[in-house]
Amino acid sequence: MTAVPEASVESAVSLQAVRKRYDRGEPVFALDGVTLDLPRGSYTAVMGPSGSGKSTLMNLVGLLDTPTDGRVVVDGRDVATLSGADRTALRGEAVGFVFQTFNLMPRLTALDNVALPMVFAGVARANREARATALLGGVGLGDRLDHLPNELSGGQRQRVAIARALANDPTILLADEPTGNLDSKTSADVLALFDELNAEGNTVLLVTHERDVAEHAERIVHILDGRLERVEELDTVSHI
Amino acid sequence: MVGDLGGEGASNVNVWSAPTGTAGPPGAGAQPVFTTSDVDELDRLAGVREVVPRGSAPLSAVRSGDDTVALQQATTYGRPYFASEDLRDGRAFRQGANETVLNPTAAALFEENVSVGDTLTLTLEDGRQAEVRVVGILDTSGAQDPFEGFGEGPRVYLPADPYYERVVTAPGSGERERAYPAAFVIADGPEAVDGVRERTLDYLRDESDAASLLAPNAEFVAQTNEELLDQVRDILDTLTAFVTGVAVISLVVGAIGIANIMLVSVTERTREIGIMKAVGASDRDVLGLFLVEAVVLGVVGALFGTLVGFGAGYLGTRFVGLPYVVPWEWAVVAVVVGVLVGVVAGLYPAWNAARTDPIDALRYE
Repeated sequence: MTAVPEASVESAVSLQAVRKRYDRGEPVFALDGVTLDLPRGSYTAVMGPSGSGKSTLMNLVGLLDTPTDGRVVVDGRDVATLSGADRTALRGEAVGFVFQTFNLMPRLTALDNVALPMVFAGVARANREARATALLGGVGLGDRLDHLPNELSGGQRQRVAIARALANDPTILLADEPTGNLDSKTSADVLALFDELNAEGNTVLLVTHERDVAEHAERIVHILDGRLERVEELDTVSHI
Repeated sequence: MVGDLGGEGASNVNVWSAPTGTAGPPGAGAQPVFTTSDVDELDRLAGVREVVPRGSAPLSAVRSGDDTVALQQATTYGRPYFASEDLRDGRAFRQGANETVLNPTAAALFEENVSVGDTLTLTLEDGRQAEVRVVGILDTSGAQDPFEGFGEGPRVYLPADPYYERVVTAPGSGERERAYPAAFVIADGPEAVDGVRERTLDYLRDESDAASLLAPNAEFVAQTNEELLDQVRDILDTLTAFVTGVAVISLVVGAIGIANIMLVSVTERTREIGIMKAVGASDRDVLGLFLVEAVVLGVVGALFGTLVGFGAGYLGTRFVGLPYVVPWEWAVVAVVVGVLVGVVAGLYPAWNAARTDPIDALRYE
């Protein structure tokens, strides 16, 4: 077995020689030895064609899945050593998901959607409502607290989802094609919001297949057939 | 209902004759076999306080003033069978007098309510007429004795002398004597009632006029009110068991209904379960949410069912004319069972929800 470099303490997430095997008639490696380090405060984009292993990478970083081989360390904790319940707890406090299809709870107001992760984290009602209100104010939806998702535009929904992702002050923001269902104007707004959040110190991992979206990041990780094809460092001011 | 038969009747033995091997209600198939001499002999048995022979007088109508109503029969007692506390007004009739006691329903039959002191004209079955004075009105219209059955019909009570007219030549005395189809043998006290019952049957079978008059395929029945109660209880128990059976089946069907709704609900909300898990909901959180929903369904159903039960019970007792009793303890049982059914029926769907894989759930359309 090859020596695996120790994860930096500064890493929000660190993948070390990670392999993920699925058995579909014959074993298939969705990820085949990926080593990737996401420093705190970094902004990384992942690009790759469908089937390249992007989703599997997302699921592993987001603690929805466990690797077959190698180590996934999130917020300094090795996923392999965690029980299912501990992994869920860590997911709740360390990972904020932003999905292409927003994935808001349809029967909950914007405020309740943002407060939901804090419910499962055991935050008291008054505190979580105050924080949810502040977060929605921060994404420019201070006047939409009591609206249901179907009373909001696509861009507004995605901003609610971003506010929800920030609810438990996560170690990493995971965005999976966050602009995939938005028009170019609202896409620009949402990406500007991510830039802003990253500037405030949040670690962002953005999965996309659009080059101009990926260029908002500091670096682009190209992934192909379960392996890192290349890592492209960007001039961080280029997109401004 | 059972309460109607208990109380002071605990010392009474109800006696009648019935075709052999039948198990009908009290008095079913009774023949007029108990002569006045039999009644006197029974009265002399050890432990017997009093014997009250009972018969009915066939009528065709009763008139009060210009107001005539049809009435098929009156109940006649050989001795006063009413305690003073049974009477709302007046007193019991005397034997040999042209007097009558009515129950409230009978008193209200006429346009102007009949009261104590009024005179009624009875038209007997054969067309003869008799004038009787109302001397008492009963307190309630319920059955005065077990032979009347349940219900609150209009009833007119008369002294057997002179209104009970069934007579036979008594085999013992050779005289023409009244012959009654039934009698109440009243013991000195509830503790004496079983002995009195034995002695009554012994006397009737061996030496009585009734034994000679009894049809060959008939037998004497002597039943204490306690036995009668047992019979009624048996019937009620059977009924209760039947209703309970139906209820249990309903519960099973209800549980399957809840489980089905919950399974549909879990499937419909697969994506929401995925979202909840992605934002940190543990398996136990999800399990709890769906269990609570199932329990709420069960409790709401139980409360609704209890209310419907109260309403139906009220209407039913109104319709049958029984007192309306609210069984609170059963209402509590219903809610508790509702919770249990909710838990049992919700367990599998909730467990299904809890172990949903968030990756699949988020992809679910």
